[in-house]
Amino acid sequence: MKGSEAVKSKSIPEYWAIKPGFEEEIKKIINERPEPEISLDYEIAENDYVKTGKASSDVKFFLKKLGVNPEVLRRVAVASYEAEINVTAHSKGGKVTANIYSDYIIMMFEDYGPGIADIEQAMQPGFSTANELAREMGFGAGLGLPNIKKNCDGMYLSSEPGGSTTLIFFIYYEEKSYAAK
Amino acid sequence: MPQNDIHTKEYFHSVVFYREDCIGCTKCVRVCPTEAIRVRMGKAIIDPHRCIDCSKCVSVCPTEALRVEADKLESIYSFKYRLAVISASYEGQFAEDFGFKNALKALYHLGFDEVAEQAMITNITAEIIRDYIKIHPNIRPILSSNCPAIVRLVQVRFPSLLPNLLHIESPMSMLAKYYRDKIIREKGLKEEDIGIFLIVPSASQVTAVHQPEGNYKHLHNGAIAINEIYSKVLAMQKELEEDTRPIVSYANGLSWALSGMEAEEIATEGIETLAISGIHNVIEVLSNIEGHRLDQYHYIELRNCEQGCVGGGLNIENPFVAASRIRKLINNSEKIKIDNDYFFRLYKEGYFDVTQLEPRSMMELDKDIKTAITKMKRVKEITDMLPGIDCAVCGSPTCKALAEDIVLEKAELSDCLIRLRKLRTKKNEE
Ligand SMILES: Nc1ncnc2c1ncn2[C@@H]1O[C@H](COP(=O)(O)OP(=O)(O)OP(=O)(O)O)[C@@H](O)[C@H]1O
Ligand code: SF4
Ligand code: SF4
Ligand SMILES: [Mg+2]
Repeated sequence: MKGSEAVKSKSIPEYWAIKPGFEEEIKKIINERPEPEISLDYEIAENDYVKTGKASSDVKFFLKKLGVNPEVLRRVAVASYEAEINVTAHSKGGKVTANIYSDYIIMMFEDYGPGIADIEQAMQPGFSTANELAREMGFGAGLGLPNIKKNCDGMYLSSEPGGSTTLIFFIYYEEKSYAAK
Repeated sequence: MPQNDIHTKEYFHSVVFYREDCIGCTKCVRVCPTEAIRVRMGKAIIDPHRCIDCSKCVSVCPTEALRVEADKLESIYSFKYRLAVISASYEGQFAEDFGFKNALKALYHLGFDEVAEQAMITNITAEIIRDYIKIHPNIRPILSSNCPAIVRLVQVRFPSLLPNLLHIESPMSMLAKYYRDKIIREKGLKEEDIGIFLIVPSASQVTAVHQPEGNYKHLHNGAIAINEIYSKVLAMQKELEEDTRPIVSYANGLSWALSGMEAEEIATEGIETLAISGIHNVIEVLSNIEGHRLDQYHYIELRNCEQGCVGGGLNIENPFVAASRIRKLINNSEKIKIDNDYFFRLYKEGYFDVTQLEPRSMMELDKDIKTAITKMKRVKEITDMLPGIDCAVCGSPTCKALAEDIVLEKAELSDCLIRLRKLRTKKNEE
C-alpha cells in the first residue's frame, strides 16, 4: 500500500476550511511545524466496527487528564470519532496521529485508499456512498465531514480517486477567536 | 469501628471500609468504575473524592472489609412522628403468600406512624419530566438524575455532561415535601418533631440522604436499608394477618423500580427515550453522549444497578424474581387518584429546581495545563516501561493508573512486581 507516494507528486485536490480568526495561527503552524508535546499513533482497520473509536476515546481520555475545557473536549470527541469512522467505513484502513500541544490539538488521518472522487461533493451534508455494512451499523447519513468542519477551528482534506485520503484538523483549547489579536 | 478514611468533612459515604478486615486482595481495585481504590502496604485506600458509592466493591470483597452502612431502625424513635417513604423495589421483596399489603402494614408495626410509597408520584414525575424536556429544547439528551450513583459518576468522570442532567429534585424528595407540609397541617406538629425515613435498596441512596447534591430543600432524616428490616417484617407475619387496618397502595406506580419503565412512560408525544442500566453500560453510553452520538434522544434513563432499583445491593430478593412480582402487582393494581396539580404547580413555581451541579473532577493531572502535559509525558514514558497486562498486583487498577500514581508520587516503579521479576531474570541470564 506504499504506492501512494508516487500519486502524491501530482497535484491533488485539496479542501481547506478555517474558522475566521484562525488563518494566521494555522498558517504559522503549517510553516513552522512545531514539535508536539505528546504524539499518539493508532492504526484504524477497515470495517472493524468493534475496535473503531479506540483512538478517539483514548485521545479524549488524554485531554481530560490535561484538564482541557469540557466543551472543547466534546468537539474533539465528535471530530475525531467521525474521522475515525470514515476511515473504517470508506477506506482500506489507515492510521491516525494525534499531536497534542499546550494550546491546541492536531489530528491527522491518513488511509490506504481508495480516495474520494469529488471532495466538494463529499463535504455536502447528506452525500454518502456508505456501504450496506456501514448503514447497518447506523452510519451513512452523510453528515460526518460537515460535522467535523463544524467542530474544528481548521480542517484540511486532500484525496483523489485511487489514492489515499488525508484529513487533518486543528482544535484550540481556548474557545476565543484570534481575530482580536 | 470502621476506619473512616473515606469519610471526610467534604464527602459522606455509605460505603465504609474496615481496615483490619482487609487482606489486600485487590478485587475491589479492579471493579471500581471510578478507579477510586488502591492497595498500598497490603491494605485498600479509598479516595473520597472519586468514590460514588456504587457499591461494586462491596459485592466482590471476600472479607466484608467493605460494607454499606445505612441508618439503624432505632434512629427513628428520636422523632415524635415518623414517616416511612418506601422505594418501589421494597414491595418486590415479598412473596405473594406473604402479601405486599402485609409488607406495608409491617412498617406501622416497626414504629412508623405513616407510610408513603415512591410509587405514588410516578405519574406526575413523568409529566414533570415531559414538561422539562419541552422547555429545554437545547439540551439533548437530558439525563435522568434520580439514581444518585449516576449523578456522582457524571460529576467525577463526565463533567462536560453536567448541564444535561435533569435538574429537578428526585421523586423521593418531592414526596418528603408533600408529606412534611401535610403532617404539619393535619397533625399540628412542629418541623423538628417529624422524622422522614427512606427505605432504600442501594448504598448511593443512603449517601444522597446524608449529602444531597444540588440544593435539596426538604431533607430526609435518614435512610434505612431494605435488608435491615426484611427479616423483622417476615417474622411478624402472624400479627400482620390479625391487623385489619385498611391499606391504600399505589402499586400501579411501582414501575420505576424496573429499568426501562421510566423511559417507556416518558416516551409519548414524539419524545424519544432510551434506558440503560448497569454502571459499565452507563459509562459506555455516557462516553457516546459526550461525543454527541446520541443527540437524537430527548431523554435517557440511567441506573447504576442492573435491572434498575430491584438490582440494588440492599435488597434481599433476586432482581428478576422481584421484577416479576412487581409486574404482577402493577397489573393487578387499582388506579388511585392523587393530587397531581399540587406537585405540578410547585414544580412550575421552581420549588423543585436544583442548582447547577458542580464537577467533582479528579481527572486532571494538574490545574495548569503545561504542568499537566509535562506530567502526562512522564506517564507515557512510564506506561511504556510497564508490562501492560493490567494485573493490579501492584495495587493500582491498570498499568496506566500505576504510571499516573508514580508521577503523582503515590506509588513507585518498584511496585510493579512483574517488571521486577523480568529485570531479575534478565540479570540472571547475563
Ligand atoms: N476516508 C475516506 N475515504 C474514502 N471516502 C471517504 C472518506 N471519508 C469520507 N468519504 C466519502 O465522503 C462521503 C461523505 O462522508 P461523511 O462522513 O460526510 O458521510 P458518511 O460517512 O457517508 O455518513 P455519516 O458520516 O453521516 O455516517 C462518504 O460517504 C464517502 O463517500
Ligand atoms: S463504592 Fe463504587 S466508586 Fe466507591 S470505591 Fe466502591 S466501587 Fe469504587
Ligand atoms: S476486596 Fe479490597 S477491601 Fe476487600 S479484602 Fe480485597 S483489597 Fe481489601
Ligand atoms: Mg462519516
